[in-house]
Amino acid sequence: MSLPLDLFGSLFLHELSFWWVIVPSILLGYIVGAIPGFSAANTIIILLPLTLAMDVEVGLAFMVALYCSSRMGAGIPAILVNIPGTAGAAATPLDGYPMAKAGRGQQALAISFVASTVGGLLTTVLSIFIMPWLAEVSYHMHSVEMIVIMLFGISLIASIAARDTLKGLIAGFLGLMIGLIGTDHVYATPRGTFGLLELYDGVPLIPALVGLFAVSEAFMIIEQRSILTEKGLNILRGAGWSATLEGVTIALRRWWHITWTGLIGLVIGVIPGAGAAIASFVAYQQSRSFSRTPELYGTGHPEGLIAPESANNGVTAGTLIPMFILGIPGGATAAVMLVVLQYQGVNIGPTLFEQRPEIGYGVFIVMAVTYLLMMVTILPLARYMPRVTMARTVYLAPLIISFTLVGSFVPRDYVFDMFLGLLFGVIGYIGRRTGYHVAAILIGVILGPMLEQYFLRAMKMADGDLMVLFSSNIGNALWAALIVSVALPFALEYKRNRQRAAGTA
Amino acid sequence: MTESAASQLQEKRPVGGELIIPIAGLLFTGYYFTTIVDSPWTAQVSAFFVGSFLAVLSLIFIIKAAAMVRRGEADFGVRGVFNDTDLEFNRHWLLLLTIAYILVVEWGGFTITTFVFLTAAMLVLNKGRRPVFIALLSAAFAFGGYALFIFAFEVRFPIGPFERLVRWLLA
Repeated sequence: MSLPLDLFGSLFLHELSFWWVIVPSILLGYIVGAIPGFSAANTIIILLPLTLAMDVEVGLAFMVALYCSSRMGAGIPAILVNIPGTAGAAATPLDGYPMAKAGRGQQALAISFVASTVGGLLTTVLSIFIMPWLAEVSYHMHSVEMIVIMLFGISLIASIAARDTLKGLIAGFLGLMIGLIGTDHVYATPRGTFGLLELYDGVPLIPALVGLFAVSEAFMIIEQRSILTEKGLNILRGAGWSATLEGVTIALRRWWHITWTGLIGLVIGVIPGAGAAIASFVAYQQSRSFSRTPELYGTGHPEGLIAPESANNGVTAGTLIPMFILGIPGGATAAVMLVVLQYQGVNIGPTLFEQRPEIGYGVFIVMAVTYLLMMVTILPLARYMPRVTMARTVYLAPLIISFTLVGSFVPRDYVFDMFLGLLFGVIGYIGRRTGYHVAAILIGVILGPMLEQYFLRAMKMADGDLMVLFSSNIGNALWAALIVSVALPFALEYKRNRQRAAGTA
Repeated sequence: MTESAASQLQEKRPVGGELIIPIAGLLFTGYYFTTIVDSPWTAQVSAFFVGSFLAVLSLIFIIKAAAMVRRGEADFGVRGVFNDTDLEFNRHWLLLLTIAYILVVEWGGFTITTFVFLTAAMLVLNKGRRPVFIALLSAAFAFGGYALFIFAFEVRFPIGPFERLVRWLLA
């Protein structure tokens, strides 16, 4: 597939002419991304009659803009009020929320916006050039390789557990155990469901997300006047445009960090079924592993915010690559887009790039245009959005509870899921009060079922032979990388301690 | 009780609250195992692996906590989780109102139930101050939520008398 470079300039201007649909879609994406229970896929489905009535290029611009901006929108409540809008933003509050609490919400939002847009833009542009090779990745990722990638994400539990190992591991394994509720993936035997039919499909993600983060947070914050500390309140009151610019500068100075964590997102996005949650956890864990200051992670460290935000935007371009080259959607939103394109009579596959480059390449160009317009539209908002953290908690807490619990009702139409959200809220509240990290529980709930699914698939194919886990070259390379990334922080810490000891001697 | 004994009691770590999650984990693991004991190996393998780890970790924590209590460094109090702040800040009322909200919203519908919940919860948390402002704020969010989610985007929120009435009026 040779690249028609001369075409890209005219395509860029052509896609830019769709600004009138891209800008409203971006604003809609911020809203749907920020509300738990909503997603770009749901919104595209809800607005399907409208999308199908549009010209195919306009429809594509609408869907792509909504998809990209919803990723970034999910990070906004994660930073400001500790409520990730989607599972893809579940790692964002680890460092974003402590920044907001300290009155550095403007800087945090600006860092998140720059990481998201620059990470998304870089990976989109890169996708255009290395698309055929990246599509190959999805061919080579089988159950064994997926198991190791899941373990990359799960090893974040160990990082979180670094501060209190036993409690961190208990929280992580409890999450994994909760994630195993439901029928098994081979014979559909119900397990740990308490006889409740609603749990046969497993524990739904949104109530877990909403409960562990939002509901528990609402019950915690009512002791304070506002989310902010007294010092944070004073800082935020005195903050001006310079705070936003400071955030932009902090992020741009770490351009290399944005780039490589975005690349993690791109590669994971290419793998069908992997998704933004895994990418953001893996990127956060890798960022911490290779950091010179791992002890700052979780305290409001900019790199801990950049990693998940850049990665989950890298996923966006990644999920579209196998769809356009192979016809295999990399995620739920890509699957909905595939349906729309097929309805419009667009034949997906490598020939699309030669026969209809305005669609094949156009989708990535419109993505690049979207990221550029996102920078323009979102950065000014960073100045005022953190004001929400100044609201009194007596008003904020009931609003968080009602809207997030109703959000957990939306995906399945079950009031049961609202109760589940409250139950997770109670677990999260007890966990926070007693030093068990809710993020470790959530990682288990998200990744546990996926890990089991791939593990069982590998075992079935190998007739129960565990050595299958070490049977592929790519898998073995990933195992080696996993061992290095887990062992490296300990090795670096050991080296630092020795240097410190030598210095004091 | 002497002053030094009282201060020693105050300094003790209340591990009772910290034991809630490990004990809940142990109980859940035990229950989970009973549901898969006669199942095919595919249903058992992951659960036995994860559950065993959770059980061992929880037991280690329980033993460590018991040892701390025995040494006099901790007690089985649950002050870390339940304490006077629950009453001071009306957390228990907020929990009860949340349960009531979930129970009622299915037939009361999003708009009315959310309005009542927000008003009641904000009044309780604000100790009855600023009732008019709270009622207006609650109405703005409840009806704004209706307009945005149910009316504009047709999202599947719980439907009740208000939503049906508006639908009937606009039909």
